[in-house]
Amino acid sequence: MRLSLTPAEQQLQEEVRTFLDSQPHLGRRLPHALEDRIEALREWQRRCHESGFVGRAWPQEFGGAGRPPVEQIIVDQELAAAGAPEFVNVVGLDVLGPSLLRFGRDDQRRRYIPTILSAEEIWCQGFSEPEAGSDLAALRTRAVPREDGFVISGQKTWVSWGQFARWCGVLARTADPSPYRPRHRDISMLIVDMRSPGIEVRPMTQITGHAEFCELFLDDVVVPRENLLGEPGEGWKIAMYTLGHERGTAALPRQVKLRTWLDRLIRAACARELDGGALIDDPRAQTALAQALVAVEVLRHHAYRSVGEFLGGGAVGPESSTVKLLMAEAEQRLAGTALELLGASLQEATPEDAGENEFWEETYLYSRAASVYGGTRQIQRNIIADRVLRLPEG
Amino acid sequence: MDLELSDEQVWLSESVTTLLERAWPPPEAVATAKDEQRRRVWDRLVEFGALTIGAEDGLGAAELCLIARALGTRLVSVPFLGSAAVRMAVAPFLERMSDEVNDALAGGVGVSLAQLEPGSSSWFDAPATEARRTGEGLELHGEKVAVEHVEAADWLAVVASLDGQPTLAVLPTSATGVIRETRRSFDETIPLASLRFDGAQLSQRDALAPALGDRALERLGTIGALLAAAEAVGAAGAVLELAVRYAAERKQFGRAIGTFQALRHLLADMYVRHSSGWSTVLYAAASLDDDADDAARNASVAKAYVSRSAREIAHGALQAFGGIAFTAEHPAHRFLRRIVVRERQFGDAAHHERILGAQLATRAGAVPRALAEASLP
Repeated sequence: MRLSLTPAEQQLQEEVRTFLDSQPHLGRRLPHALEDRIEALREWQRRCHESGFVGRAWPQEFGGAGRPPVEQIIVDQELAAAGAPEFVNVVGLDVLGPSLLRFGRDDQRRRYIPTILSAEEIWCQGFSEPEAGSDLAALRTRAVPREDGFVISGQKTWVSWGQFARWCGVLARTADPSPYRPRHRDISMLIVDMRSPGIEVRPMTQITGHAEFCELFLDDVVVPRENLLGEPGEGWKIAMYTLGHERGTAALPRQVKLRTWLDRLIRAACARELDGGALIDDPRAQTALAQALVAVEVLRHHAYRSVGEFLGGGAVGPESSTVKLLMAEAEQRLAGTALELLGASLQEATPEDAGENEFWEETYLYSRAASVYGGTRQIQRNIIADRVLRLPEG
Repeated sequence: MDLELSDEQVWLSESVTTLLERAWPPPEAVATAKDEQRRRVWDRLVEFGALTIGAEDGLGAAELCLIARALGTRLVSVPFLGSAAVRMAVAPFLERMSDEVNDALAGGVGVSLAQLEPGSSSWFDAPATEARRTGEGLELHGEKVAVEHVEAADWLAVVASLDGQPTLAVLPTSATGVIRETRRSFDETIPLASLRFDGAQLSQRDALAPALGDRALERLGTIGALLAAAEAVGAAGAVLELAVRYAAERKQFGRAIGTFQALRHLLADMYVRHSSGWSTVLYAAASLDDDADDAARNASVAKAYVSRSAREIAHGALQAFGGIAFTAEHPAHRFLRRIVVRERQFGDAAHHERILGAQLATRAGAVPRALAEASLP
């Protein structure tokens, strides 16, 4: 084990810092209107990709930089430490891109991977349904096979960035249920063009006030056969691989982001008063901040170790559920600490504090989703009990 | 950056585990282990090289943590923690110490650490025990409690004040004026004593001068916290494994209790605590081996986290076992006891959280570079 950086890694770090210093997006408020914000974020990802900082470890022939995965870790940490916005094509990068690389044909990879990296085409995922949340295998969306492809009908929900996406990875049933086959074997993964006739997207307003996710209605949407990812019936396997990525590798940039929030919270605690003294001088405030720090640091250390094993040739397996649980815990601990520390001052805010207060209130509300999205806390525990501890099944 | 254990580290860990499996009784029989068994397993560990510390090719913090974890897993009772932590603490200052101390530490002698005092917290650096200057040497006066393995250790390392500053004083256990009294131990597999120093003499050279003493104590606090945490992680992992096995076998309501979701989720949470606890210990150890600026801080994070989480795991195991875990012959309480004892050394969770919190408050100005005001969580 060696935590220090090699000269080449240090050089990369410098390269990222130099790049960041030249970027006008940093430290500035992004446009408030959602459409403008998305455009700004696309532009941001495009520039980062041009400089070789997106898909650092992805194959060169598909637009990646073809470098060792540890370099992506270094890049992501630098970006997050500088407060850079997260990449807008997060679903493409963290969720479906890895699945395309792993299960896609060469023509599919050539078609989709480069535009995922450059954010020219945004991706979304169509997994959950109103009647299939934690029990994902209960999904009802049907993709009826015909000679040249499939006709999909059904309803998807919690489709993040669905209103801006060009492509959607849709899980659908391609075979009728059979008593001789487990129900998840009937599921396939299809790449659906969001411009197809029969697609309707309805943004939903979240508790934060933003509309980042949507409902997706598919009404006899025709999907060509070449848009099948993997084999028919492999959808479940692909989805599990996909979710493992979402849960595991996403932790590295996430923990840096949490660290920048913790620093921001400390600054807020320095600026605000509690009963006549600086809030930061209150011993209870210091202990609460320390506990949040411990949660964030443990996430970082654990993510390093799991990613280390992953880079060493291990698969992103059920271990990613541990990372996912720690990630939710750290985020909720931090956001909860902010809510409690800033406490009354959030309520009686002066106009100067309004922006800061809004940030913490939103961060707190959003943090409650961390133990729900990507598989609930309870589902992660089930996975660990089944596949790591190998407890008997009920 | 290389985040994996090296082949040598994996080999070391496996070898120590095999050695302990052969030379130490299983958990349910540890209380019956005789002094002779303790001596034998200790001799083998020393022979294996578990105390080869500080030399160019010596063991680093990560390797020592791997050994400590293996000791915790098997509830082995040997003077490893004190012997390893003290060697690591004084390694940079050895040339200033006497030949006797150098010879002893280079060989495989056991060292007991005498740190805590009556009424002290789990880590403190204002000892009442004093090293007083006499004509040519020093005399120790004071009282220490919770000293482990004095019988098996030929040397003592005592946290004492010299010229009003805390330092580490090293002397033989057999020195005149060292009065020992056996004390009851919460973990009865670890022999415990209190020590009274009534003018025990040592060379001026064997109590580090204040500036060096400070650094030695800081190193002692860092490595000690990590070794104590690593041992607790080992014990927690072992009791978790027993609980998982029990849940798969024990039947109630006509089915294995491990099929009930309430218990499955409890065990899953215990697994998360164990796995992440080990990650944070290993990371902190690697940062110490790298001489990183934040090594002490990382050790505080690890000790704070493991102090809480290892005991949480032991509590979960007692719950999973149910009534049987409350019988003396069942090994669950042995793991709990070892975990509690390690929690009380080198700072408990509250201690390290206080330190981390104070650091956060003073370094509040130093935050990362520009922060985007708008965020997309």
